[in-house]
Amino acid sequence: MSPVAGPVEEHELNAHFDRQLPPDRAAAVAAYLAARPEAQARLRQYGQQQQTLRAAITAQSAGPIPGRLRVPRLAAVQRRRRSWRLAAAAVAVMLFVLGGVGGWAARDADIGLASFPHGGAASAAARTTTAAAIEAYRVYSVEARHPVEVAAAQEAHLVQWLSKRLGRPLIVPDLGAVGFRLMGGRLLPGADGPAAQLMYENAKGARLTCYYQAVGFDGETAFRYREAKGVGAFYWSDDGFGYAITARVGRALLLKIAEIMYRQIDDAGNKSRPPPPPGKAS
Amino acid sequence: MPIEVGLIEPHIPGLRRFACALLRGDRERADDLVQDCLERALSRWHLRRGAGDPRGWLYTILYNRFLTEQHRQKRRGAHDELTEATKSELLVVKGGQDEALEHRDLLRAFAALPEEQRSVLALIGVEDLSYDEAARVLGVPIGTIMSRLSRGRERLRQLMSSDVKAPARTSRSAK
Repeated sequence: MSPVAGPVEEHELNAHFDRQLPPDRAAAVAAYLAARPEAQARLRQYGQQQQTLRAAITAQSAGPIPGRLRVPRLAAVQRRRRSWRLAAAAVAVMLFVLGGVGGWAARDADIGLASFPHGGAASAAARTTTAAAIEAYRVYSVEARHPVEVAAAQEAHLVQWLSKRLGRPLIVPDLGAVGFRLMGGRLLPGADGPAAQLMYENAKGARLTCYYQAVGFDGETAFRYREAKGVGAFYWSDDGFGYAITARVGRALLLKIAEIMYRQIDDAGNKSRPPPPPGKAS
Repeated sequence: MPIEVGLIEPHIPGLRRFACALLRGDRERADDLVQDCLERALSRWHLRRGAGDPRGWLYTILYNRFLTEQHRQKRRGAHDELTEATKSELLVVKGGQDEALEHRDLLRAFAALPEEQRSVLALIGVEDLSYDEAARVLGVPIGTIMSRLSRGRERLRQLMSSDVKAPARTSRSAK
């Protein structure tokens, strides 16, 4: 490779030190260093410093691996949880069926009971968030002229704005597979700080909303279904957000949509990161 | 034993080092972070891209969980107690007397660096990731990695030479 001329920069000295310098700059950096013993001395100090840092952090973090970090054990716990959740989902489906056949009071009742790790806080958040989502749906889904505050045409702005207000990155689900497209969204006063509502519409003009509320715990809860005044909602929480998907469609379709949304958020959760703290350079 | 167990396990020491670097030597919180990372990696194993070594993917999960946790604490008004961390460093440093002191001094200087420099120094200087891999883990451009690395190394050197090490200072000003 032919050498590239130009002044040697600080990051190139570091790249030379790390053996990650592009070959076309090797000659320039070598010449620079040959003429500057103080720069050579500095790189030597970096080397000692790095060696000491490595040893110090290794000593600091070493020690026997505690039981809670043993991967086979963690994997076994997760397998148990998964099968338990499947069982809970089966029970919920059975209760839906029973409710349909017997006219039994599924209305206004929490059915999915599988909220294992958080108990009280999770149940309370589920109740208040679902009720707020249903109420918000009833108020805004009938709006002909102002169903949303920010339209889907400005989706990037909408997401940025709502994520900022809710303090967490908000994932907008793509519900095209079930015929719903995004109309836009709005900020709402929630039961516990700001909440967000995204509104979707299908070709027949039916509307559906995704409601987001930050909650004070991190773990996942299973789906819960609630129905009030003809509006159905599936609620779950994961990773600090409570989600409620709300519409006047049958339970089966709503469950399918909730699963699509859950999967998309779950998938994105692994890649997304919270907004960087204010004032962070570069 | 599922295949992921065998692929994840060898990286636990590295994940613990990285977590310790991010959390300024608070071992208890570092192990919480590693546990959180391992649980997430297991539950999302099927979402991993590519079938090879999950090392970079694991560091990415750990770093994202770290940011989420920091963000949550900020929202709750809690903040990092540097003095606490420094105290715990004093407790955990082992080895011969001189070596222990040297480690302690350097860890203290390292803890004084901003997070963005600590994470880069840890990934490149301690974990031996390439610039490119570190950029992917931290989700920033490679140019940003390089400038944070230069600034971090130089800042660490200055902190160490302004400490008690007069010889380092003289060699710096020598022509």
